[in-house]
Amino acid sequence: MIVNGEPHPSTPGLTLWALLRDLNVDPARVAVAVNDDFYPGARVPDRALKDGDVIEIVRILGGG
Amino acid sequence: MQADPFHLGGRPFTSRLLAGTGKFRDFGLMREALAASGAQIITVAIRRVDLKAPGHDGLLDALDWDRLHLLPNTAGCRTAAEAVRVARLARAATGTTWIKLEVIPDARYLLPDPVGTLAAAEELAADGFTVLPYVQPDAVLARALERAGCAAVMPLASPIGSGRGLRTPDLLTTVLDGAGVPIIVDAGLGVPSDAAQALELGADAVLVNTAIAEARDPVGMAHAFALGVQAGRAAFLAGRMAARTHASPSSPVPGVPRLPDPEVPV
Repeated sequence: MIVNGEPHPSTPGLTLWALLRDLNVDPARVAVAVNDDFYPGARVPDRALKDGDVIEIVRILGGG
Repeated sequence: MQADPFHLGGRPFTSRLLAGTGKFRDFGLMREALAASGAQIITVAIRRVDLKAPGHDGLLDALDWDRLHLLPNTAGCRTAAEAVRVARLARAATGTTWIKLEVIPDARYLLPDPVGTLAAAEELAADGFTVLPYVQPDAVLARALERAGCAAVMPLASPIGSGRGLRTPDLLTTVLDGAGVPIIVDAGLGVPSDAAQALELGADAVLVNTAIAEARDPVGMAHAFALGVQAGRAAFLAGRMAARTHASPSSPVPGVPRLPDPEVPV
């Protein structure tokens, strides 16, 4: 699967919560997309992930 | 002066200066400058979390969002598809349905793609977003974006971050003439007189980031821009004089105590 544009190993039974924990990301401060599903950080579901999923984890930064 | 609210997306705002949060040296300076600007609508960007160093950067903690309205952008997106995706990520990240839509394939001048912008605007408006598209000052495109359901149109003054000021005032005038949604001049304003000029011509508001963030004194410049916007709006409401080709004396022509036979140079 692809996480933030980089290949990431997909292990059997991997879930979104487990992925964020492995990446040391606090869900409360991000938003997440899995393919075409978009989740606020506070409502990230512990859904199963599979090979081929495209995942984006984003935050808010200064901009104009 | 009477209350002169500026309505955007169904909400009234008293300030006609929108401000960006990019390029400030630190959050403290940004917070002070934004306070001095009086801006109520504040833009932010959406970026991937750095997975090698996922610490948070605290922009949201630095500002009082009870009093400020968040406007995320799709800066950096090169195609309509990228912009639509980033808009949906922005909605998830911020909780607002407002989006400053930027579709910019050109890195040198950061000029927006009109075709991609219109396509993305149609898709996002149909998905319930309050869409504020960044475009060239093109009246035909502005009307098409209105028909697509955009809440405002944001024509550029000059390239983003260039500080060159309003380079195409005649084109801005054509966008303003008959506009059915607020027109917010965005990008390229360098000094408060640029903002005043846009408001004098009838723009509803301006968005400023680099000119404040890169000033020697960002807090002072933010205050100056607030004054420029107020002056420009007041002048627009007051109605400018008609411009003339030749001079028109301000003092009475008859009754000058002349010498008997003055030598008048031609």
